[in-house]
Formats: sequence, structure tokens, C-alpha cells
Amino acid sequence: MLVCAVLFGALGIAFFYKNRNETLKPDQFVQEKASFMRLFQNSSEIHKLWTEGEESREWSLIKTACLKHLGITTKFDETLLRCSPVLLQCHELFSKNLTYKFVNFEEFDNSPYRYMTKSNTSYTGLRDPGVTVTIEDLKTKKRMDVFLADQCQEVYLEQRAYAYGEPVDPKDGEDYRFDNFNRHLYLDTHLVTNAEVNDWLKFGNPDFTRGIKAKKENDLFLPATDLTYTQMENFCSFKGKQVMLAHFFDAATFLPMDLSEKIPAKNTRSPYYWTKKASDYKSDCNLIYSKDCLAKKPYQLNSIGPTWAGMQDSMGGVFEVFRNPIDPESNLRASSFYFDSKSSWHKLGFRAGWNGEGFDLRDFDFRGLNPFVAIDKFQVGFRCMREVMQ
Amino acid sequence: MRLILGCLLLLTSCIRPDQAPMSVAEMDLKLTQEWIYATLVDDVKYNNEVITRPPGFEQLAVSLIIPQAGGLVDKKHCVYYQVPYKEKVGHIRVQEIKNQTECPDSTTDDKFFVSLDNVTNFKIAVANYKIIMSFDFNKQKAEITIPTPNVELGLIHEKYRPLTEKRLISGLRLLKLSDDSFDFASNKYLGQLSDRFARGTAIRCQQVNKDCQTVGENRCEQCRYGWYEVVDFQCPQGGSKFCGQNHCGEKNEPACPRGIKVVDPLDAGICQSDLEPVANADKILICQ
Repeated sequence: MLVCAVLFGALGIAFFYKNRNETLKPDQFVQEKASFMRLFQNSSEIHKLWTEGEESREWSLIKTACLKHLGITTKFDETLLRCSPVLLQCHELFSKNLTYKFVNFEEFDNSPYRYMTKSNTSYTGLRDPGVTVTIEDLKTKKRMDVFLADQCQEVYLEQRAYAYGEPVDPKDGEDYRFDNFNRHLYLDTHLVTNAEVNDWLKFGNPDFTRGIKAKKENDLFLPATDLTYTQMENFCSFKGKQVMLAHFFDAATFLPMDLSEKIPAKNTRSPYYWTKKASDYKSDCNLIYSKDCLAKKPYQLNSIGPTWAGMQDSMGGVFEVFRNPIDPESNLRASSFYFDSKSSWHKLGFRAGWNGEGFDLRDFDFRGLNPFVAIDKFQVGFRCMREVMQ
Repeated sequence: MRLILGCLLLLTSCIRPDQAPMSVAEMDLKLTQEWIYATLVDDVKYNNEVITRPPGFEQLAVSLIIPQAGGLVDKKHCVYYQVPYKEKVGHIRVQEIKNQTECPDSTTDDKFFVSLDNVTNFKIAVANYKIIMSFDFNKQKAEITIPTPNVELGLIHEKYRPLTEKRLISGLRLLKLSDDSFDFASNKYLGQLSDRFARGTAIRCQQVNKDCQTVGENRCEQCRYGWYEVVDFQCPQGGSKFCGQNHCGEKNEPACPRGIKVVDPLDAGICQSDLEPVANADKILICQ
């Protein structure tokens, strides 16, 4: 009996101490949690870099090495680095003193990222397309998969009444009006770049990208201009979007006379995105990048100011194709660097036609207002748009 | 000797129930590694209040929806707390349910994802995209804080701005990738690139009836190649919707929505200039 009592006492003391130790956080678990939270912190820093792009501290540190690595020698609009995997690639290669590393995807030429859309992943619950990176904590080798939504280069189209096409003389009829109330439309701010098409080639279904060649170096941040219309449609579909509709392009480019009046009695509009007065037209390469500008400064994407709604390159530069559900044969913004600044093509809502297949003069319908240049291959850009549920 | 062995057996049974006791740190880690991926936190009955009633009974304190590895399907974590009373100790128990059925009112068996006994003054707070659990464990204060960056509470649509999500960091999500995540055979998103309304192959992802009610589930977020709206009953929230590439306005395709604030409802559909909108049997305007 005495032995039993002693044993009880000893084990009781041991039990007490054992339990007391359990209330303290054992180092192993605490360290693992700390490493997990460190990875989460790293994820939010990568996301910050992803959205800040050219404004990030990292870009200022790695810019020279990055451009050299990519072979980019010409100037480009660096805001295109926002939500761009190109910046992540350079961050992986050139940023120093990171506490993590990117895990490369062997099946994609050791790319440090993977472009994910609903068409190339079975992961449920994705709304937006975006980029996935896997980061590994250098200390503990723990990993975290991070998804970065590709949504910085879109702009919301305000819900209001708009008009399509050039203004109609009251004698000839009424303007074609429409509205987008109760709809959430997001329009790409810039034309699709070659870098974006490269991601489609790498991560999209090869059945839809056959024959398209990847671009590099100075072409990366130039618009993709050698896709057929069907390929453009498929590119936008890859991202869950559609090719820009002509009437929504008009909505985002015609400057409303009164921004506070959402349903004006009439949609009076000027043919120029920067002014309410048609008489304010002037030849200025910062407003329309026309043929005259080629000799003054090299063409680049986002070369002129944005429209009232935040859309870039609404006039000048390369051609831009739309899907026009009203007048399907008027599907091309001909305002471009193929026409000089005095050309009547430099008007919003005035469109030419493209058959969507070739790039020779015979593939276009310029309504008799042909360009006075001998061009082997015209460049046709495009952008996408999408509607989002509430 | 028999007595000593008997005593030892009795004592062992006191120390070890059916599994090794868990420390708070271990529970913190196990929950963090799962809950940080939660997409929904639900069933919060006493947010930021110490649970004191009913004494001696186990109750559901919170539930979470979490993706399983690979992200193909979700699972559920049901978190239970038993308020201590007399000989009944307070405990936290988390059960994992592989499908997404409702959490039972109390634990159903003794298989727990985590289990912690000797807990009192349990409080759970769900706010600011974080879950904070605070309690006394063996009479010592303990707190577990877990961020939930995947929880989304809606969207913010603002003119001149890109899409903003109401979440801890808009545009950031943590995934649980595996090889299954990229297995195309497992892709459950809806539609093919070749689907067309005109051919009858487009999947209707949202149906609106003449009373402007949504019939069935809205599955448009599951469309693989996007979705488009058609013009049917002029409802304030819009018309029915289909998955796939939008060819509205074209021959035998639906008319594109034109809105009804600046045109007569009879002109609410956009068709190519050589086509007319005609209502089909479902009252959808088709361009013919």
C-alpha cells in the first residue's frame, strides 16, 4: 500500500510537470508557425510588387539588370509592368537578400510563374485570370502557393447612357443610344502586348495557338499585331474575356459633356477624346500618334493620354479591331500612324473594315480613304473586355 | 505487485485518453496551416463573446470551408466548444468533414482534426479577415490568431478603377496546388470554346424568369471561357446568361443588351443592322 502511495505521488508530480510543459509553446511548433507566417508576409510583399510595378522599390533596384537580361533597349511605358509576370521573373533573378526563393516549373522552361485561367486549371473558385508562384522559405524549405489576380490593367466603365458611332445629324435620324445600368463592365486599358500573348502560347491550349510565334526583346511591350481575328477572340476567351465591343469602346472614349448627368437628353459628343469642342483639334503627338509622329519619337504602347474613362491609345498608333455587333463591317479603328494628322480617319466612332484574316491592303476596307503608303503588312492590335457579376 | 500494476494502469488511463494530448502551439500550427486557406467562415454564434452557456454541453462555435489539396473540392471544419461544468471539462474540438454538408450540432465521433481539453473562457472573434481564438488552457491565457486572406466579402466597383475585392489583400489568394490542379480531366469549369447559342450548345449559367427571379443556381462564375447576358424579360438585374464566347448581335445568336433607360423596351436588343431581334420560345431576343 505504501509503495503504491509513493508511486502515485511520484507520477502525480511528473504528470503535473508534463502538463505544465504542454502549456508552453514547444519551439518546433512555434518555429513552424513563424515560418508559415513569414511566407504569408512574403506573399503580400510579392503582391505589392505585382501591383506597384514600375513604382516599386524593387524595380528601381533591378531595372538595369532586368532590361539587359530581357534585351530591351528601347523606351516603353513602364506602367505595363503592373500585373506583369515579366517583373516577377526579374525579381526572381536579380533581387537580393530575399528570405525565400521561387520554385521553378520544370515543365514550362523553368518559369518561376504559371499563368492560370479557368481553361488551364481545375482549381475551383477562380474568378479572375492571374499568375501563380510557389515560394519556398530558405530556412525551413516550407512552401506556399500564391495567386496574383491579373486585374490592374482594367478599368470599370461607369454606368450611364452612351451613344455609338459618329453623331447623327438630327435631319438624318437619331443617335444610336444605349446604357449599361446594372452591368459591371471592365475594359482593358491598353492593347494586348506580345508579352501577354507569350503567356498564352506557353500556358494556353496549343490547339488554339498553333503557328503563332513568341516575341522577345523590344517587342515584348509592343502591341500584338499579327494575330488573326479568330486568334484574338481565342486569346480573350483564354482569359475569360471577349474582344472589345465597338459600342463600349465608343462609350469609354467619347468625352461626356456633363459627367454629373448620367442620362442626358442627348449624347452630344466631340470626335476627339480630349475635348468637348471639335474645333479644338490640333496636331499633337501626345494626343494622336499619327504618321507625322513617326519621325519625331518612336512609337510605343500608351503613347498618348488616356480617355475620360481611363482607356489608353484610343487614337493613332497601330490599327485596333473590335467586334461590332451593330455594323460588323465597321470593325477597325483606322486612326493610326498609317495616316497623317490631317486625315479624316482621326475621328472617334469613324471606322474602317478588316476581314480579320490578312494584313495586306486588300484585307482592309478604307472606304476609299486609303493610306498613301506602301505597306507590306499592316499592324492590327486588339484589347479585351469582360463583365463581372456583383 | 498486482496492486502496483493496477495503480499504474489507472494512472496511465488518467494521463492518456485515446490520443496524445495536444499543446496550444501544436493546435495553433495545425489550424493555421489549414484555416489560412479558408474561403468562408460561417456559423459564428457568439462573435467576440466568451461562451458561457449552456454549461456542460458541446456546441458549434464556427465552421469554415477550406479547399482540399489540389483545390478541386472543398472540405469543412466544424469547431466545437464544450462549456465546462462540474466534472465535465471544457474542450475545443475540430472535426473535418470531407463534403460540404452542414456541421452537426455536436461532434459525431472521436476522430478530431484537433482536440484540446481543460479549456475555459473560450472566445472566438471573426473580424478584419482574421480569426482570433482566446481561452484559458490549464488556467493559463492562450490566443491563436489566423489570417484568412481567401475570404472574400464582395466586390467594389468604382468608376475609373480596376476591380477591387473586399478581402484582406485585394487580388491575393493562397492556393493549395498539386498535380491534380492541372489535370485537365478534372476540370469542372463549364463550356467549350466552340459552344454557340445558335448551335444550341451554349450552357445557360443563369436563368431569369418572367417574374425576374433567378431560377436555380447562378453558375456563371464557373464558365470556363467567360459568360454573356441575353435580353429576355427586361429585369432590373439583367437577363439570363450563357457560358462561352459572345457572338451577340450575329445571325441566330442572341441580341446584345442595349439597356432600357434610353430606348423603348421593344428596342432593348442590339442586332447587326441587317437583322431583327425576334423573341424565341424562352422569350430571348434572337437576331434573325
